[in-house]
Amino acid sequence: MFAQLFISGLSNGSIYALAALGMTVLFRATTVVNFGFGEMFMAGAFVVYVLLKIVGLSYIVAALGACVVLFGLGAVIELGLMRRMENAPHLSLAMMTIAISFLLKGIARVFWGREVLPMPPIFNMPPLEFGDVIVTAQDLVIGGATLALVIVFLLVFRFSWLGKIAQAASQTPRGAALVGLNVPKFRCTIWAVSAAMGAFGGILVAPVTLLYPDMGGQTLTRAFAAMTLGGFGNLGGAVVGGLAMGVIEQMVGGYVDTSLIDVAGYIVIIAVLLLRPTGLFGRKELVRV
Amino acid sequence: MSDIVTARRLTAVALAMGLIGLPLLTNDYSQYVVNTILIYSLVTVGFNILLGYVGQLAFSNATFFGAGAYAMAIGMSRYGLPFPAAILLSAVVGGLVGGLVGLPALRVRRYALAIVTLAIGELLRWGYIHTPWLTAGSSGLEVPDISILGFAVVEEKHKYFLFLALTAVTFWILRNIMRSRLGRGFVATRDNELATAALGLSPSHYKVAAFALSGAVVGLAGGMFAVLLGRVEPASFDLSQLLLGFSMVVVGGLGSLLGSVLGAVLLTALPELLRNIPGLEEIAFSVLLIGCLLFLPQGLAGLVRRLLPSLHEKLFWE
Repeated sequence: MFAQLFISGLSNGSIYALAALGMTVLFRATTVVNFGFGEMFMAGAFVVYVLLKIVGLSYIVAALGACVVLFGLGAVIELGLMRRMENAPHLSLAMMTIAISFLLKGIARVFWGREVLPMPPIFNMPPLEFGDVIVTAQDLVIGGATLALVIVFLLVFRFSWLGKIAQAASQTPRGAALVGLNVPKFRCTIWAVSAAMGAFGGILVAPVTLLYPDMGGQTLTRAFAAMTLGGFGNLGGAVVGGLAMGVIEQMVGGYVDTSLIDVAGYIVIIAVLLLRPTGLFGRKELVRV
Repeated sequence: MSDIVTARRLTAVALAMGLIGLPLLTNDYSQYVVNTILIYSLVTVGFNILLGYVGQLAFSNATFFGAGAYAMAIGMSRYGLPFPAAILLSAVVGGLVGGLVGLPALRVRRYALAIVTLAIGELLRWGYIHTPWLTAGSSGLEVPDISILGFAVVEEKHKYFLFLALTAVTFWILRNIMRSRLGRGFVATRDNELATAALGLSPSHYKVAAFALSGAVVGLAGGMFAVLLGRVEPASFDLSQLLLGFSMVVVGGLGSLLGSVLGAVLLTALPELLRNIPGLEEIAFSVLLIGCLLFLPQGLAGLVRRLLPSLHEKLFWE
């Protein structure tokens, strides 16, 4: 049972890792925490649904299309709303992302009300059996796709110019602008990329969780737990935290009580923030007085 | 100068008479909506203490609201408390929960505080669902009809006068607190923690006091909410409740007593009008929120202040 729980924990956890990474990338580059990230998930999944079922495209094309649409949406959000609030306090920035999440949820509800839509599985392969551990094709796709994306991001942020630019643009936007970086354009790109990552996660997870306008909320809290666990703003930490969060949930559900699955994330958040606010890999924040 | 004072007094008297005479114009449904507005003005003003006056990004209104409502329901139906004792219990439990939730605020800040307060609220809600011997679980706990000094308060209009009295007294107390040393300490903590500490005042004390005060006010509103609905369910205190209070504070105006009322009136009445079309309520909320954030950073209170400078409140969020 342990191995089975571990595997399904990793599969769920890779979705949390992806969400946490998408939010951390944005946080690192713009210091905004996107409370509407769950709705990027939801929007991505719904766009795929529309392209697949109503327009009639193939799965791969629909998925790519959804990522492109969300990339555009992220850019529009930055250009139209966030850019105008550049100097606003963090309270207002948080409120703006919440307002965006209201808007996206409301639009989805106008079309789909309180329906719950099924999404066909991505691949119809028989589940693989290793001894008594069963791995579904869906688990493999989710895990593999997430892992690939995560590795690409970590490499890009650690070893390319982009990582340095992100750090510069968030630490001293004015200094970054002075050395010739186009900070607004960079922020816009990061918003777009972050939204597209949300869409990617939504596409992967929709066949498992079904589609409904409120589907983003759960992912958001898990992503918060993952970020907290790994150290807020730490890219690698977000990924490890996400995977750990998935496994913790399954273990708690399997060995203690299934009703605890829903609150495992909250317990982790409270425990980490009270015992070790910097998370597992975070460094202590230095405040200039 | 005395003209302004006279004008203000006349306005206050007219307002009081209008509020007392209001039930002459309402039917049962509109009276119910008005009662809801009274409750949400308290929720908003209580939450505004945290968001607007002390500037803490805490997601606690649904937590305190639920704690107060459950204190009322459990106190009356399980322990047979009379209403005055039960409503006091709501405020006290709210205040205690507030003080406890405030302790993490001394250790974490900003987004981390938002997330940890969100987690505490959801954990408490999970607790309501999984302790059926106390809370009757997710099916909800009945609240018995209330009476005060032998006078049964069952009809919406009777509840209105009770709620109006509670709301008015709470607002009067809060107005005085905000002008006192405590209120100024709140604003000082919000504006500059270091400078506050340098003046020999303790930002930590002010933060915990603000959480406790916010908890007591929102808890009181929760007790009234339990009486209004006659039934308390865990689902009433979920994320949407949290975001409703949050929107009311932002749209009304951060750090303004008047704004709290305006936000509560607008955002309670609006969903009632848009009820029949799914999704429209959320879209309207988001448009209002985005509009306020971009064009009215001080909310409706900022607009009123611009049009009627005589209603100026000190210690406003600038």
